Parts: sequence; structure tokens; C-alpha cells
Amino acid sequence: MDTRSTQLLKGTLDMCLLATIAQRPCYGYEMVQQLAHQGLDLVGEGSIYPLLSRLQLLGYIEGYLVASRDGPKRKYYRLLPTGAKQLEQWQAEWERFAQAVERILKGERSDEQSRPAHPTTDR
Amino acid sequence: MNRADQHTQQQIADLVEACMGYWELRGIALESSTEMQLELEQHLQQAVSDGKSLEAVLGPNPAAFAEAWAREMHPRFWRGGARVLHGLVYALSVVSTTALISQLLAHSPSFTFTVLAAYLLTGSGLLALLLQLGGFLSPRISTRAGREALMLAGVVLAVLVLRLARMKVNWSMALLSWNWPMTILLLALAVGLFSLDFWRTSHRERSSSATVSMPPLRSVTMFVASVAVFDVMMFVASVAVFDFCRLALRLV
Repeated sequence: MDTRSTQLLKGTLDMCLLATIAQRPCYGYEMVQQLAHQGLDLVGEGSIYPLLSRLQLLGYIEGYLVASRDGPKRKYYRLLPTGAKQLEQWQAEWERFAQAVERILKGERSDEQSRPAHPTTDR
Repeated sequence: MNRADQHTQQQIADLVEACMGYWELRGIALESSTEMQLELEQHLQQAVSDGKSLEAVLGPNPAAFAEAWAREMHPRFWRGGARVLHGLVYALSVVSTTALISQLLAHSPSFTFTVLAAYLLTGSGLLALLLQLGGFLSPRISTRAGREALMLAGVVLAVLVLRLARMKVNWSMALLSWNWPMTILLLALAVGLFSLDFWRTSHRERSSSATVSMPPLRSVTMFVASVAVFDVMMFVASVAVFDFCRLALRLV
């Protein structure tokens, strides 16, 4: 993944994690797999854990240990009502932001069409 | 499990141990750090079984990863003191038992704590810490022997630098000297602090469901055995290593 995509993902990873957990409770590696399945490959997969801890301390998600048949207990995360509200807010913010960026990008294209490629100076 | 698998398992174990030691020093509650350790270990195991590298999980700098996670866990400085208490108990036990044995064997009422003894104690403590945190190097230097060789090279380099700077140390110089009552007092203090540390550890392990605790008798035996080994090392060092170092430094 290129650096720009990495930077973009860094800024939105907490929101992506919250949205992933909102679908169904899951554990760390599962989240990474789901993100990768959606086309978001993390440079350091472990970077999700500090964010999960932050989300947990903010009261957006809750971690709980689930007994496993073939190994030690596994830590799952589930969404809490505060987290659901926060996710709605973040989604709204993201939509506004993405629309603004899209308008700018489309605007640049329409400018290219309406204006000469190499504007001349007034004499 | 083939040899390559065993090697990777060792790398994972060393990395997780380094992270755990770091989180403990940073003052993260044992219950939290145990869960963090569990999550990290399972993630690394699954990633490796999917053909990913350790760097794909932890990035190029595992220590930075451990610190980034620690920052989000609201560490408390005083919790890191538990590790210091453990080190203090160990140092106090070694010093008091060495003093006791020396006084008994030499039929002398006094004991002298030399620069060499202080150097050995602090050096061993630092080395133990470095060896544990050395696990952070395991994605780059995959074998434990390789990391130990790097540390040894660092020590040799430091000795050479000190030698070139013409720094002279009188290893037999007395730092402290005390008589029987002080030895008994130190011994009593070591036993008291050990009991406190032991009670604290077992109390925390009981309240933490995720921790696998060691049987009390086994942990006491292991502690006593390690103190005894260190005592022997101190005796050997004061007799043989001191002369060897002096000779080696002359040759350098």
C-alpha cells in the first residue's frame, strides 16, 4: 500500500474499527482480516491494538474473554451504546468530508474543461 | 513441529516477553498487561500461520509498538515500582546472605562490600533487564544467541573505551563495611520484603483470572536457588574473575 493510502487509513482507522465491531463482535486478527477483505491493508497490523484500547477506555467498545476449545481464552470486542452514537457522528462527519473532497476533485476537472490549460497573463 | 517452526515460536515468545517486561516497567496493571500479552501472542501466531512476517504485525520497531500501546493504557508510574521492589528484594537477599556466609566462613565480625560486588549486582540486574528487552530485536536478530553476542560485544566495546580513556577502577575498594547486627538486620529486611512481594504477587494472581500462577513452594524454592547461585557467583567473582579481569585489562 502506498504512503498516501497509509496516511489516509491512519486518520480513519478508529472509525473503521468501530464500524467493523458494529457489524458483529470480533477479535483483533479478525478485524485485520475484515479490513483487508475490504481492500484496506495495514502496514503494521498491531497498530489496531492501541486504538482498540483507546476506544475501550472511551467507553465506545467493551472487551471480553471467550473460552476457546483448542487454546487459551480469546479477547473479543463488542460495541456499546455510546460507541454506536459516536459511530453515527463519525459517519456523518466522514460523509460531509468525503463529499467536500469529491466536490473539490470534480471542481478541478470542470475547471480544466472550462479554462485553457495554460492561462496567459494580461498585457 | 519442525525446526523452522520452533525458531519462529521462540521469536514470538521473546517478543511477547519483551513487550510484557516493558509494559510492567511502564506501570500497566498486571491484569491489563496479561490480556495485552494474550492478544498479541494470538495475533502473532495466527499471522505467522497465514505466512506473514513478525514485522507485518509489529512494524519495523517493536519497542515503538509496545510504547504506543502502553500510552493508551493510562500507565501509572508507581505500578512500575513493583518491578523495582522485586529487584530490591533480590539484591538485598544476595547481599545479606553473602555477608552472612562470609562472616561465618572467615570467623570475622565484619563484612566489606566492595566496588566489585556493587558492579556485579548492578551489572547483573541491568543484564537481566537487557536480555528481556532484547526480545525487541528478535525480528532483526532472530536467535537469542545472536542477541546475547551483540550485548557481549557492547560490553567488550565499553571496556575497551574505558581502557582507552585510561580509566582505572580499584575493584577491591570498600564501599561499605558492617558488623553482625547489621547483617542480621539486612537478612530480616530481605525476608520481610520477600514476604511482602510474594504476598502481593499471589494476591494479584488470585484476583486476575487470566494469569497462570506458579505453586508457592516452587516460586520460593526458585528464588532461594537463584540467590544461592548468585552468592556462589559473587564468591567466585571475588576470587577468580577479579584476577582474570585484572589480567585481561593489563593485556588490552
